[in-house]
Amino acid sequence: MIDAGMLTDWGSASIRLAAPLAIVVIGGVYAERSGVFNIGMEGMMLVGAFTGVTTSYYLEPHMPVELAVLAAAIAAMLAGALAGLVHAYLTVSRGANQIISGVAINLAALGITNTLHRAAFGQSGRQRVAGFPSIELPLLGDIPVLGDVFFNQSLGVYLAYVLPVAALFIMFRTTWGLSIRAAGDAPPAVDTAGLSVPRIRYATVLFSGAMAGLGGAVLALGAVRYFTPGMTAGRGFIALGAIIVGRWNPLLAAAACLLFGAADAFQLRAQALGLGIPHHFFMMLPYLLAIVAVAGLIGRTMPPTQLGIPYRREESSD
Amino acid sequence: MRVSVSSIGATVRAAAVPVFAILAALAVSGILILLAGVNPLDAYAAMVQGSVGSPSALAVTGVRMTPILLTGLAVAISFRAGLFNIGGEGQLYLGAAAASAIALIPMDVPSAVHIVLALGAGFVGGAAWVLVPAYLRAFRGVSEVVTTLMLNFVGIIVVSYLVDPSFGPMGERGASYAQSVPIQQSARLPVLAERTSLHAGLLLGIGLALLLYVLIRFTPFGFRLRMLGANPVAARFAGVKSTREMMMVMLLSGGIAGLAGAVEVMGLRHRLFDHFSPGYGYDGIAVALLAAASPIGVIAAAGFFGALRAGSSLMQQVTRLEVSIVLIIQALAILFVIAGFFRSRILRIGKRTPVQASGGTHD
Repeated sequence: MIDAGMLTDWGSASIRLAAPLAIVVIGGVYAERSGVFNIGMEGMMLVGAFTGVTTSYYLEPHMPVELAVLAAAIAAMLAGALAGLVHAYLTVSRGANQIISGVAINLAALGITNTLHRAAFGQSGRQRVAGFPSIELPLLGDIPVLGDVFFNQSLGVYLAYVLPVAALFIMFRTTWGLSIRAAGDAPPAVDTAGLSVPRIRYATVLFSGAMAGLGGAVLALGAVRYFTPGMTAGRGFIALGAIIVGRWNPLLAAAACLLFGAADAFQLRAQALGLGIPHHFFMMLPYLLAIVAVAGLIGRTMPPTQLGIPYRREESSD
Repeated sequence: MRVSVSSIGATVRAAAVPVFAILAALAVSGILILLAGVNPLDAYAAMVQGSVGSPSALAVTGVRMTPILLTGLAVAISFRAGLFNIGGEGQLYLGAAAASAIALIPMDVPSAVHIVLALGAGFVGGAAWVLVPAYLRAFRGVSEVVTTLMLNFVGIIVVSYLVDPSFGPMGERGASYAQSVPIQQSARLPVLAERTSLHAGLLLGIGLALLLYVLIRFTPFGFRLRMLGANPVAARFAGVKSTREMMMVMLLSGGIAGLAGAVEVMGLRHRLFDHFSPGYGYDGIAVALLAAASPIGVIAAAGFFGALRAGSSLMQQVTRLEVSIVLIIQALAILFVIAGFFRSRILRIGKRTPVQASGGTHD
């Protein structure tokens, strides 16, 4: 029935599917902590995935593969950050509705990547490109079962191990982190301290775009290594759920992504195994968990108090 | 009612913002089209031809605008009360599923009865899907933004399950695509014009828009709803029971989104398909925004979006441009509206909503 090989395979796939999300949620946590809701992460991921694949495709003939992939990852981050800039300008500078801005960015991202994809790769589409190399870590990779699950993965996955820890450290152990959290909870205090709330929010939203772009690149350049229109398929929205389940903590939110990855990997396998239980129920669980978390049924989950509210200096913002 | 000169002036001013935004979006997209090596005027001419250039083109526009007219109304009514139902996509799926459940049953009743029953089920299905977010918002102060958004994905998965070809209770066994069997003839909406797919769903949407206009403008319920949207604190002091009002508005909003799904199945597709909506629920947000949450404006905005989609096929045939250009035009139009470049009184609705919609944990 179920043997170690299948568990290894499931575990390994869960990690692989969770990795792009874990990178995306870091940025999302930062943006939300500073007071800006970024529902546009879905589109920013898509932009990153497309930019990553296209950059890798055009650069690979001219340079070593490693360099081309590195450039692809950086280009994806820049493209994501550019989309983040649009979101930051509209929501921070113009005080626009953050949800609507995000919806528009998602729509624009879909339209732009569809159009450019057709222009770059023609009708047939799926052009395979150079992607993140797979690396089996020495020693750690030799641990039975766990070694294959955690330490025999693509480079993008290892990024997803390191970045959340760094993000956690910065958020709770540095003054940067303090000002970001203050911008989302007590912006007048930030003002009083002589810091600029808009500047902080610009920074976090740009960072959020960059991380979403990188997450998209990890998604596209990790396992499949090609771009298909709309390939993010709602993952940016899943990240929003993971942020809540992870209570606006970068590390917990990244861990929550594992839950989503595991459900995703399970449903693919449940179909193949022909298990009696419809795989659909497993797919729903993460979303339902996010609702349960936000409803406050499992402990107290408080979003940053100023989340979604534009800050204007002259007003008191109670 | 009398139409005074000042109200005409207000209407013109209200329409100016979205019209300027759309013109700006078309201008910027025109530059992109030019960069793609196509004369933008040719592209837009083909789009006009393909959307309103002939009776059959008009029929296609009507078909395309119907679901987004309904989801647009659903979002607009929630906007007016200072709420933000972005779960239209999920409510649409559940509405479609509930309507299909009734429409699949053979009934020995007049077609009109079967249709009304199925539409009613669609409304109830959509309303049921927003029940939990509405309760959490009204009674626990939990922001409806995240809860309604998350239920979108659950709703899509529920329909995937229902129509699964191997075990879904409504699935057509052995079909190559996840879908139900065709619904009963008696539950199909009548076609409005010979040899087109234009169905009565459009009339339902327009009728509902007019009804909502009257409801918001001329009834005590509408007054309380607007008060809640304009100033929730003042509304409470004035004796508006905000919890009850919020529940009613959210359920109404969900029900209307449910109708969008019901009408799409009963009027056009005649089966419940897996993943049948290309994001009509989200389009509804864009439509409601362009319309500044006015039900009458929603008709116009949905008509514009419907025309874009209908016209895009001919544009692609003539110019070889991607159909996805219309997504960019739509997105730009929204961005120009919310950027507030064309300021007007009406924009306050789009601007004020985040405070009330996302800051739900305040009260």
